[in-house]
Amino acid sequence: MSERFRHAFVLAVVTALVLVSLLIVVGIPGVVKASKTHLGLDLQGGTELIYLAHNTNGTPVDSTVLTDTINIMRSRSDTLGVSGVDIRPYGKNEITVDLPNVQNPTQAAKVVGVTGQLYFYDWENSVIGPSGKVAGPNNSSVTCDGTTQLSGGPACGITWYAAVIRASKEPAIPVCAAHVSKGTRCFATESEPVPVYYYLDAKTQTVYAPNGPEPTKALLLADLTQKHVKLPAGAKLVVVAPGTVVVQATSAPEVLVPNDFYVLRDDVLLTGKEVSNPQVTTDPTQGIAVSFGFKGAGASEFTKVTAALANRGYNNSTSVANPNEQHFAVTLDGALVTTPSIDFRQYRYGIDASNGSEITGSFTYATATTLANVMASGALPVKLEEISSELITPTLGHQALNQGLTAGLVGLALVALFLLLFYRVLGVIAVSALAIYALYLYALIKLVPVTLTLPGIAGLILTIGVAADANVVIFERVKEESRAGRSPLNAITAGYRRGFSAIVDANVVTFMAAFILFILSQSDVQGFALTLGMGVLVSLFTAVAATRAILGTLGRTRFIRAPSALGVTKRRRQWTFDFMGRSRWFFSLSGTILLVGAVAIGARGVNFGIDFVSGTQIQASLAHPASVSEVTKTIESLHLKSSGASIGQPVVQQVSSPGKSKKRTYDFQIATKTLNVQQIGGLGQPRSVLGLLAQRYGLVSKSYNSVGPSFGKTVADSAAVAIVAALLAIAAYIALRFQWKYAVPVMIALMHDLLITAGVYALTGRQVTASTVAALLTILGYSMYDTIIVFDRVRENVAKMQNAAFSQIVNRSMSEVLTRSLATSLCTLLPILALLFFGGSTLKDFAFALLVGVASGAYSSIFIASPVLTHWKEREPVYRRRRARIAADHGGLVPAYATVGAAAREIDTDATGKRPRRRLTEPPRPEVKTGEFRELVRDLHAEPAKRPAVQAPAEPRPEPQRDPTADARPEDVVMPPDDAARRRGAAKSRNRRRGRPR
Amino acid sequence: MGMLAWVIMGLALWHFTIWLPDRFWGGIVGAFLASIAGAIVTGIVISLALHGVAIPGRHATHLGTVLYAIPGALAGMALIYAIGAARERSSERLAGGPFGG
Repeated sequence: MSERFRHAFVLAVVTALVLVSLLIVVGIPGVVKASKTHLGLDLQGGTELIYLAHNTNGTPVDSTVLTDTINIMRSRSDTLGVSGVDIRPYGKNEITVDLPNVQNPTQAAKVVGVTGQLYFYDWENSVIGPSGKVAGPNNSSVTCDGTTQLSGGPACGITWYAAVIRASKEPAIPVCAAHVSKGTRCFATESEPVPVYYYLDAKTQTVYAPNGPEPTKALLLADLTQKHVKLPAGAKLVVVAPGTVVVQATSAPEVLVPNDFYVLRDDVLLTGKEVSNPQVTTDPTQGIAVSFGFKGAGASEFTKVTAALANRGYNNSTSVANPNEQHFAVTLDGALVTTPSIDFRQYRYGIDASNGSEITGSFTYATATTLANVMASGALPVKLEEISSELITPTLGHQALNQGLTAGLVGLALVALFLLLFYRVLGVIAVSALAIYALYLYALIKLVPVTLTLPGIAGLILTIGVAADANVVIFERVKEESRAGRSPLNAITAGYRRGFSAIVDANVVTFMAAFILFILSQSDVQGFALTLGMGVLVSLFTAVAATRAILGTLGRTRFIRAPSALGVTKRRRQWTFDFMGRSRWFFSLSGTILLVGAVAIGARGVNFGIDFVSGTQIQASLAHPASVSEVTKTIESLHLKSSGASIGQPVVQQVSSPGKSKKRTYDFQIATKTLNVQQIGGLGQPRSVLGLLAQRYGLVSKSYNSVGPSFGKTVADSAAVAIVAALLAIAAYIALRFQWKYAVPVMIALMHDLLITAGVYALTGRQVTASTVAALLTILGYSMYDTIIVFDRVRENVAKMQNAAFSQIVNRSMSEVLTRSLATSLCTLLPILALLFFGGSTLKDFAFALLVGVASGAYSSIFIASPVLTHWKEREPVYRRRRARIAADHGGLVPAYATVGAAAREIDTDATGKRPRRRLTEPPRPEVKTGEFRELVRDLHAEPAKRPAVQAPAEPRPEPQRDPTADARPEDVVMPPDDAARRRGAAKSRNRRRGRPR
Repeated sequence: MGMLAWVIMGLALWHFTIWLPDRFWGGIVGAFLASIAGAIVTGIVISLALHGVAIPGRHATHLGTVLYAIPGALAGMALIYAIGAARERSSERLAGGPFGG
């Protein structure tokens, strides 16, 4: 396939993909609909809940059970009437629930996250009295019947402490049968019956079981840690044997109401499994009810049970006017839902359940719906514990989206401007490639589909810089080749060929960092990693293949005939700085910065966000004025049920309004220990933080993020594992592609960058969040990108400068790539600056870490990694000998740059000037490989031949004497073009030089 | 957090070895490893001795904790330097001996 045909083919593919991308992005009005962009909760608003699942007997769940649980939760979420609910596994035993635009997340959490174990009991024959015996039909002091309260009503039972003490005295009841609906005494749990544990403090008569009783002591202790509850010295572990349960008679279990507990003999008559088609109905006499049918033998069992209750009521009544009605009780997850009575006058022979039945009680429509939904989907096979919750209002989400898009557009415009100013015609092509890249990536995001989150947008903006970097690396190489005397077309071909390995290495490393991040990190960071990884792959195609095809085609036209069109000026910017000689000063600078960072970490510490240290952060905009102390006192007045503990001491700060609301609001940021969704609450929930604030000051908008300690630990652990894994994988890759000695300085430079960033964070007191971890991993990838570009040139020059000291090779390489390195750093820093100035608070945090890391990465690749490599390599015998030889020739000093002859003129590897013949040096091995030679021949044919013939490789000449100081590139010193040839054009002189015998 | 502080201190001190002649065993990378390892070891030892905790957590890390790394980092680098210098002298002796060049 000829070069021309290949370029045409690539351009055809690029054009076809552009058309397909346009089709996906904008569609054709009336014909093809544009694909929808999936926005994450942080951009569209909504609630995210993360649950930790464990079996009811305390053992860890397996993947099958987790899948079953998720399926039941999905069927429950369908009943919420909200589209886009996303429930997915999260790690080994965690489940994430995304509820976009849910107005009442508390209600949603109740529907989706409750275990939903529903049991029916014979009330009078199950309630255990003070004597340890069941109450029986006539013991109203225990069953509460005949009092002002309904049977089993709240404030008619006993305290939680007394209930646990009473239950703990009951002996274990043996398992009676596998089936639980036969009226025989057996266990309520459908899984293996296990004892449950509580901690009790006799002194204060307090129960310590913040998430309810647990089947193991370890789980109970974990709950206490999770809720930051400290056990008093005298607290004792108490066990309730299987066969007895403690139930609470309230519809709001998080609120502490005294005397609302009952102890029941765990003698289940029916379970939720035998119920079918539950629905909310409005009964004209009873109000809102939940009606349902029965499955299998459930109906006849229900009739039998109610007949027995009616019969017992009839037998124990003194008269029809004074009936002693008996009750059955319905419990859901340890809460007493209702205790309906059986009217023996109406149902003497039991309730005919062939047409179903209904549960009435003090239901609201919402609570009845919740119960019906839970009954419909059945019980979860596991117990779920909420470990994290986050709420973003749609307003804040849209605001974040707009800020992200603005930052992206500004970043793109800045990079485009830089490329146009710096590379002229090449810049136009690079900008076109960037536009194509943006279009492809956006289409891919819609097609996959990728859920776009705020960190994901940050990843996209960063890949703009990475895509531009690839162009910069290639274009700088093209310019070098052009300066070396090649025609524009040949400079383009050679530039792409020689720059390709550096681009591939650098992009592979960035992609590896993104991949490892995606595999090992948590959701937000995963979104970032996914877009970064996709961006790297797309940019490789657009910045290398597409631009090469465009340039290859244009190179044959008049657009790129003169080197100036490539941005090549007559005078090359020559860096003559002694990078290695001065490196000790830069080392000292880094050392000092790190010392300051270490002191800052000791003195100020690192400000970890709740992602790592757990807790709840609430942002509340209040309608009426309130002071910090008023808000603090309001929250402190809440008495939540966490083993009787209060909410603790909240940290309240007044902040400036995040939005552009027309109405004046009073905005507060509240930090507390970890609260669950019910405790955070909202409008209409006066026993929750936000509910109380809404009641007193009016709530305009709210958002919150709550992270439990176990979740925070997971985030921190996964971040550490991701960083270590990325370091190891990348070190292995560099060792493979370069030498293992090249990998070590890269690792040291990375460590330098990461620790400097940590020091800067400590010094500035900025909060370290999950986004910061993503930024750190990006720094890791980017820092290596820059170092690899430098090392690639070192590797190339090591082969060329076979008599130079290693420091001279590195100095030479530095001077060659410094412009390129500065340009790539600028290309990456421009979008980061756009993020910093135009992004929202999350993106700003992210951009700050990137700014510090990228600046440090660019610096360390030149002033840390390269000097370390130099010092280390110069210990090798071959470089020691070279150094000694050069020092002997130069009065004990090694010049910064490799020199030729007594005049100590610096070798110019790109020089076209005339050199004395006597300086002719024998290259140690052929520079031009067979493939390269063939390509050069093709190049000759490609160029308009102004001279009739070009000197081809001819007979070998006699080998001249080796000159130890001459280490320039053979083609530069062996065959300098004569003046006439130079006048005729640089392109031809290159061919002449290339054609010399080796 | 204590570990992070010690590693930063070790790395910071290592940067100044650039002013010394390169006689470290394993060169500049040997000095780097010695500095980091020394910083961590003395950090742990001093922390255990003073507070009974091997690695201080976020709230237990203070300015003094950072300083625990200094003797270890310096001692580590000094040890590596001494070994390197001794090996260099030994190889020089061999090179200058009857069989040396």
